Amino acid sequence: MQELLNQEKSIYIQIKEMIETDILRDILLEEERVPSTNELAKLYAINPATAAKGVNLLVDEGILYKKRGIGMFVAEGAKKTIQKRRRENFFETYIQGMLTEAASLGITKEDLIDMITTERGNQQEV
Amino acid sequence: MKIECRDVRKNYKKKEVLKGIDLVLEKGKIYGLIGRNGAGKTTLLSILSAQNPASFGNILLDGREIWENAEALSHIYFAREIITSSNSNASGLKVKEYLKLAETYLPRWDKDMAQRLTELFHLDRKQRITKLSKGMVSMLQIVVALASKADFTFLDEPVSGLDVVAREAFYRLLLEEFTETERTFVISTHIIEEAADIFEEVIFLHEGKILLKENTQDLLEHSVYVSGKTEAVDRLIQGKQIYCPEVLGRSKSALVRLREGERLSGGEGVTLQGVNLQKIFVVLCGGEERV
Repeated sequence: MQELLNQEKSIYIQIKEMIETDILRDILLEEERVPSTNELAKLYAINPATAAKGVNLLVDEGILYKKRGIGMFVAEGAKKTIQKRRRENFFETYIQGMLTEAASLGITKEDLIDMITTERGNQQEV
Repeated sequence: MKIECRDVRKNYKKKEVLKGIDLVLEKGKIYGLIGRNGAGKTTLLSILSAQNPASFGNILLDGREIWENAEALSHIYFAREIITSSNSNASGLKVKEYLKLAETYLPRWDKDMAQRLTELFHLDRKQRITKLSKGMVSMLQIVVALASKADFTFLDEPVSGLDVVAREAFYRLLLEEFTETERTFVISTHIIEEAADIFEEVIFLHEGKILLKENTQDLLEHSVYVSGKTEAVDRLIQGKQIYCPEVLGRSKSALVRLREGERLSGGEGVTLQGVNLQKIFVVLCGGEERV
């Protein structure tokens, strides 16, 4: 689990995304129990209702499921589902902002492609 | 279990401190009570715990008046700031005597917990309260509040004078106790931002009235700071509930509070940003002094 850092996003969204990221990185495995809302609340010093809100979003999406009296577990296929959704959002999350910024700086698409293929910044003078 | 307060008013001589408070406090929630100095927070908490009579209105626990109702009051404890000046009740007492006193009048007192927390905070039981630092006095207040085990526990400025490590320790202890017991806590504080995530609901008390009582996360989600080109911003915020619009050259900014179901979508030349609880409080309760 990472630290809660930014103020830009709602805390429960951050909780949701942290659990997702832990699943993507195999820190949380499928069919494994995830920390309870009370554990999350104490760890991050947040209200348990807020932690529950984040966890419940993952239940709604089928990423987590509830075992009565035991807790929340990572569903089978959760990792694939998260990957699929994050891929779908990849353009909006990462590319769109980059294109807007590049356009206002006068960086061309060719420059961008060059940066991506060489994995190096563009050193030329403007 | 719930506490209900109906049109509660309080006058001190001619001054009206509370101007008609309607409030419901439910079991199993942590509330943040936020207001400026003199807003009436301490008065409200003392009336909600029948330490002080209301001039008008009713305070009910599950429908029954709490005033002079020992059974109802056994569920409510108000940990007010311990005053250490020489003429106060607590002044001559040692820490252990103060705890002993709490034990005699708090029916659900948890002695083991009081012991454990006293050690955790390194409070010297033999020390006189007048000799304690401000932070230590706050710790004592916290120990008594948590060990009271009251279903409704009110804490007035519990973190005042505490260093950041002790404050974090307090928030964790509070959450630990809360998750285990589902007691209700009402906490007043001026250190809004670091406690914001603890509060399920926030109550803004302003000039003796409740300005707002809302789920903290909903309030944050429904508050957006909009900035950008004046015309674009104006188009976007038209018809919305706006606060503190500011114009600087060609740019304009404002805080928008979205009503239920309202949405804002950013467009060209407009930036939307989230705001924190402290900022919302300053905008709503800052008034003329805000510069």
